[in-house]
Amino acid sequence: MKILLVGEYRENKLLDVTYDLIGFADKLEADKVMLAVGYEEDIPKFDGKLYLADAKALGEYNPSAHKQLVLDVVEKENPDLIVFIHSSFGWDLAPRVATSLKATQFTEVIDYKDNSFIVPSCNSKLRRDLKSKTSKTVITIQAGAFTPLSEPQGMPSIENISADASSNVNFVAYEEAEAKGLDLTKAEIIVTAGRGVGKKDNIPIIQALADKLGGELGASRPVADNAWVDQSHQVGTTGQTVSPKLYIACGVSGAIQHLAGMKKSEFIVAVNTDKDAPINEVADILVVADVLQFVPALTSKLS
Amino acid sequence: MENTNEITREVYWNVGNNATTIGLMYFFTFLSMGLLVYLFYKRYKVYQLGRPLNRTDNLPQRVKYMLTNMMGQIRVKRNSRPGIAHSIFFWSFIVLFIGTFLVFIQADITDLLFDYVFLKGDFYKIYSLSLDIAGFVGIIMMTALFVRRFVFRPKNLITSRDDTIIHILLYVILITGFLIEAVRMAATELITNPEWMIFSPIGMVIANMLSEVASSTLLLTHKILWWFHLFIVLAFFVVIPLTKLRHMFTITANYVFKDNGPTGKLVTLDMEDENIESFGASTVKDFTWKDIFDADACISCNRCEDICPANATGKPLSPMSVIHKIGDAAFNDPDRNLVEDIGQDAIWSCTTCRACEDICPSGNEHVSKIVDIRRNLVLMEGEFAGEEVMKAMDNVEVNGNPMGLALASRGDWTEGLDVVIMGDSSDVLTNPVDVLYYVGCYASFDARNQKIARNFVEICNASGIKVGILGKEEKCCGEPIRKMGNEYLYQELAKENIENLHKYNVLKIVTTCPHCFNTLNKDYRDLGLETEVEHYTVFLDRLEKEKRIPMEEKEFDCTYHDSCYLVRHNDIDSEPRSLLDSAGANIIEMAKSKKDTSCCGAGGGRILAEEHLGNKKINVDRVNMAQETGAPTLISNCPFCLTMFEDGIKMADCEDSLVVKDLSEIIVERLKKQ
Amino acid sequence: MKVLVCIKQVPDMESKFKVNAQNNWFDENDLAYRINEYDEYAIEQAVQLKEQLSDVDVTVLCVGPTRVKEALKKALAMGCDRAVHIEDEESYIKDSSQVASLIADFAKDKSYDIIFTGMQSQDRGSAQVGVIVSELLNIACVSTIADFEYSDGITVKRELEGGLKSIIKVDTPVVLTCQLGLNTPRYPTLPNIMKAKKKELITIDSLELSSIDSLNETLNFYYPQKSGGSLILEGDVPELADKLIAILKEKTSVL
Repeated sequence: MKILLVGEYRENKLLDVTYDLIGFADKLEADKVMLAVGYEEDIPKFDGKLYLADAKALGEYNPSAHKQLVLDVVEKENPDLIVFIHSSFGWDLAPRVATSLKATQFTEVIDYKDNSFIVPSCNSKLRRDLKSKTSKTVITIQAGAFTPLSEPQGMPSIENISADASSNVNFVAYEEAEAKGLDLTKAEIIVTAGRGVGKKDNIPIIQALADKLGGELGASRPVADNAWVDQSHQVGTTGQTVSPKLYIACGVSGAIQHLAGMKKSEFIVAVNTDKDAPINEVADILVVADVLQFVPALTSKLS
Repeated sequence: MENTNEITREVYWNVGNNATTIGLMYFFTFLSMGLLVYLFYKRYKVYQLGRPLNRTDNLPQRVKYMLTNMMGQIRVKRNSRPGIAHSIFFWSFIVLFIGTFLVFIQADITDLLFDYVFLKGDFYKIYSLSLDIAGFVGIIMMTALFVRRFVFRPKNLITSRDDTIIHILLYVILITGFLIEAVRMAATELITNPEWMIFSPIGMVIANMLSEVASSTLLLTHKILWWFHLFIVLAFFVVIPLTKLRHMFTITANYVFKDNGPTGKLVTLDMEDENIESFGASTVKDFTWKDIFDADACISCNRCEDICPANATGKPLSPMSVIHKIGDAAFNDPDRNLVEDIGQDAIWSCTTCRACEDICPSGNEHVSKIVDIRRNLVLMEGEFAGEEVMKAMDNVEVNGNPMGLALASRGDWTEGLDVVIMGDSSDVLTNPVDVLYYVGCYASFDARNQKIARNFVEICNASGIKVGILGKEEKCCGEPIRKMGNEYLYQELAKENIENLHKYNVLKIVTTCPHCFNTLNKDYRDLGLETEVEHYTVFLDRLEKEKRIPMEEKEFDCTYHDSCYLVRHNDIDSEPRSLLDSAGANIIEMAKSKKDTSCCGAGGGRILAEEHLGNKKINVDRVNMAQETGAPTLISNCPFCLTMFEDGIKMADCEDSLVVKDLSEIIVERLKKQ
Repeated sequence: MKVLVCIKQVPDMESKFKVNAQNNWFDENDLAYRINEYDEYAIEQAVQLKEQLSDVDVTVLCVGPTRVKEALKKALAMGCDRAVHIEDEESYIKDSSQVASLIADFAKDKSYDIIFTGMQSQDRGSAQVGVIVSELLNIACVSTIADFEYSDGITVKRELEGGLKSIIKVDTPVVLTCQLGLNTPRYPTLPNIMKAKKKELITIDSLELSSIDSLNETLNFYYPQKSGGSLILEGDVPELADKLIAILKEKTSVL
């Protein structure tokens, strides 16, 4: 099987998550070729061919141009599978490519077995096994599902490509998130408040546990959206991606975007009354209890 | 002066029983009364700015209620010290009024037409003595009230220009009355029949002091005082509609116009009428005439504000202020937006506990006005008490419960229990259940309250009662939704629930939640629910009296919290106590218990909201009251109260000394092992 | 200006899902349905645009069985002018390309200036339909917008990873797919709910619109095996706390 991988760059740098693409291709033991719109100064490390387009000329968000590049490489290389990361770049570009190729697209693939792709459904509670009926297939893969275990190495052979840079959308600028000084990525212990905490008045209960452990307070998206906790504490794909030594998720159901942001934590404890909550997929321990009763008890027992 | 044998008083003595005196007197009297009527008529036109409302049906019953409450001063005496002073003052004034009235009857009818004089002899002795005592007592009571208001100045009691005018007028009327009597007696009885004077003791004391005054002086003084007194009284009449004194008429009328419906039941809006463009109230014309009239019945006694749990904990809500602002807008600026005037923070703070309505001596209805404004905010503006309340309503709309948990899992708490789920049972019509247990959202989904649901089923099973529940066919009864103003969603829920309740032809519905109880038993009647509904404390108390609950009495100390929706909305305070008594409880009552109970803070839909305002939490306030009894256990009978007290005990940091339990837990602990 | 809002009706995510008899989707019984959360933001943005400019006509569209009419009514109550129900009992098993081609066939001759839709659905999460529609109609598309402004043209902000956003300017006609938090969806007021009852709701059988055959096949739909790694602790809260502390001391270095 031949796979075209579409790598990602942002603000002059190669995104690490690009290596997940390589991990995926290696897991399938397939021939791989990569295309990326990026910068010569920062090349991904792998053995194989890299089609590199110049981001300075084409822009970092230029769907029509990027689509054309993919189609051009598909024409040259004739891959069976075209793989994107399930990111704001990938889920925007993949459907455009799929439609042009009259190919089917599978979104947020987490596994591949016996010629079928496995994707999550209903907030990751369930799974679908999908099989393509088209000669080519486009997929986006979940970040973190195929991360290679070994360090990246190698040096690709590079072919420069280009396309018409005109676009019907105009990228103006990036806007950084307001810097609040809270860097959860450096925290060793994070205690996160999820919707199960109930209301803003109960947040101090979670904060107290975080303080007792000498850790930081995290928040799931609904908790941040409701302003129970400041947005800077949000953990997840649109917040911060963390990997502390200990992660305690209090009343967090485990929406995919949240899991993606914390599942690399070394030890994960979930406190939840719902045994079916998706957070249990990644948790090492599930404490089946009411957050509002268990957390204070735990806090007071920690000396 | 006549020297007769029988004690009597010459009417119109000295001022002239002639056409001039009488003519002038009646002329000015009619003038002042005409002014009184006219001024009240002008106010009547303002009441008419409000929507129509029928409060004159069943008139004899209404008048009877009015007479009982007015003459008995029953509501006035709820606040005992000033209440008793006012009551005695009121009765003494009634006596004085009857006294004047009898003079009128004699002078203009019996004597004039039939030459019949009855104000003489023994009757006159009683008459004169009564009037003197009444007048004297009146002055004493006036002084007590005066000292309270102007010297002690109770906190929050507003003293206005009206109060000053009223006090001055009443004092002048009473005092000049005695002066006229004394001067007359000094010129007559003192000389001719001193033995009569004892029947006008106050007059006697003052007359004795005037014994040296020349007769001509006395006569002139008497004339002046008499006309002065007349004009002051006539001025008093005119002042009535212009000041708080109007309450003599408006409160009397308010008693007649009281709400005869089930206590606290809200008006069910007609959602089908396509011509209605506006829902709820934002300006005066959206309220009813009664809502405006209540402002005229209000005498600013402050009792509602003093007893309001929201006000007591620093929220910007004053029930009295709501009444005043509606009145002020009606009389001065009818287009004023009352929502902005009163303020959303105040409007959303109300817990609908009805303490204000219960204590109001004027019979004002505060709660329905607040809910009407909430209806305007939700239905017309899409505004809520908070984003969390909007989310809770959204959850109820989608999943039938404010927590937003899966509707299909509503009956999951029954796992392992012997209870029929109506929709799953094949023989529910041939082998009927004894009661349908309407569980409610908290007992269905909240861990602490699920225990209560299981307890109730356990107690019923032990007593040989077969229980059925609707399970996933039950949705939120809609009570907090309705109290928070969303009448539309409430009616949608109600109609669906009623259909499901009727489906199984059950004979009785029992619920462990006073809010569900109140809603099904009252509000749902407007939408067609016909089944009998009971709160579980009444249901179990009856079973216990029939000796059907296998319970062992075990003594324990406790205090009992009367939930607002049981005691003030439904007059239920004895059955839970009788039940507790059978369980062996030694109840140490809180200072505010039974009808005077103090709210836990979760009513009025506030269970859905977060409490941000004020300087103290309402539930902590009540927990403190429970602590004061020294009892180790606080008993409640409502899932909202239970939830609020569990929180309150933690916040008040008294988990070591006080525990809260639901009444059902006490009974389950005492069930004999089978 | 003509605006189209494409919505989907999904079950509430708190529901307990059961796999259907064909093992390709969930059983529809006992589920509480609602408008897909992402689409609520799309509806709200369209209505806000209508309030901002005069002369904006908003059509809301939904593909699905009869029950989706409730979702359309709610959208009308929020402020859309008219509704289109593309009736399809099989929509649950149709793939994104099929759904998109139904929508594109409906929209192709109607010259919509802006098409708002949620960036993905809560049940499938494919995040494809909006973008595919733009490709089929050959118009611009910006996905995942967290901010929208109309003044002298359209300026949107895409939500990227790590809190970063990108500012994009785009001209009509355009498809915009909406991310959570774009705005605060309004609660319909009662007069609007009543007005909605009189607004136009047309039903089009999906067979009348051109579509394509399915491009993929669902082999299985199931609950994942518990990974087995998760140790479940149940019991009395104080004991649980003790147990957890013991395990943390043993398995981690943090205590």
